[in-house]
Amino acid sequence: MSTLHLLAHSPFNDNRFSSCLPLLDDGDGLLLSGDAVHALQPGSAALQSLQQLPAGVAIYALQEDLLARGLSEYPERVSDIEYSVFVDLCIHYSSVNSWL
Amino acid sequence: MKFAIAVYSPPHAPASRRALRFAEAVLAGGHEIVRLFFYQDGVHNACNSIVAPQDEIDFAGEWVRFIASRQLDSVVCIAAALRRGVLNQEEAERHERTAACINPPWELSGLGQLHDAIQSADRLVCFGGH
Amino acid sequence: MPKSLLVVSRQAPWSGLAAREALDLVLAGGAYDLPLGMLFLDDGVFQLQDNQQAAAVEQKNLSANLQALPLFGVEAIFVCSRSLQERGLPESSLSLPASVLDAPQIRQLFERYDQMITL
Repeated sequence: MSTLHLLAHSPFNDNRFSSCLPLLDDGDGLLLSGDAVHALQPGSAALQSLQQLPAGVAIYALQEDLLARGLSEYPERVSDIEYSVFVDLCIHYSSVNSWL
Repeated sequence: MKFAIAVYSPPHAPASRRALRFAEAVLAGGHEIVRLFFYQDGVHNACNSIVAPQDEIDFAGEWVRFIASRQLDSVVCIAAALRRGVLNQEEAERHERTAACINPPWELSGLGQLHDAIQSADRLVCFGGH
Repeated sequence: MPKSLLVVSRQAPWSGLAAREALDLVLAGGAYDLPLGMLFLDDGVFQLQDNQQAAAVEQKNLSANLQALPLFGVEAIFVCSRSLQERGLPESSLSLPASVLDAPQIRQLFERYDQMITL
């Protein structure tokens, strides 16, 4: 049973990001949306934490949120996605856990 | 695939807009939405008295048009709605309040409807916080 | 077979409606005999502390609803050990019988449930 975790809060102002990461398992996915895409900020501790996630954790970011924030540089392992792929991911993973 | 979509954030929260765009993408992908359920501050999305500035998108209006045109089952949690002042005509009369701000296609009902949707759907996707 | 649901409660008891509405969600499911679990994580662990006086901030006590969980058939109650440690809370301070889990155990917990809601 794999889970797609959905984060939408800034990793700097909020602790959902740091609470979520240790709970990700191989085979899980992490989708960054809203202010959570700030975790891709080059040079940040948050980006380092993402890069240290096991290779078996897939990382996605919602394209509209990257564009809105002018974030154009991010690691190769991060896939920027549109809503149609967001829907497909929800089907691919067994369940979706949004950190509300 | 059948989706249950729950919204917990108020109308101006980015998460609420994402929920709408996600719901549209679900249907565009040929899937079904079993129910939309609005809980916590999400109940405010059903308020018909929201007036969007003229140069901004009227998201509350978009929700209503989306729900009505696709004939979706969209439920607002009655307990969460009442304590937030989001009432339909029946509840406004029952509680002797002057304003009702929910009307069809929105429906007020209990948390059991969210649980029922979770049981009927293949996937539950929640939107809230920010 | 009904689908199982894990509700993760992350907010402190007196920070607004989140704690109460997470409990209401669980109790509503319990009333329908659905297989539910509840995990207290992050500030959610503060909900399980004794000696709280809700009346001091003019709120209703959460403890009645918390104590009602087993009565509604919700006995799968879990608490995150890291959240307790970060907040200096000993396991003995918990007001409900609960399984205290570390991160690997919580990862396993997530896999056991069909659906999750993290409030």
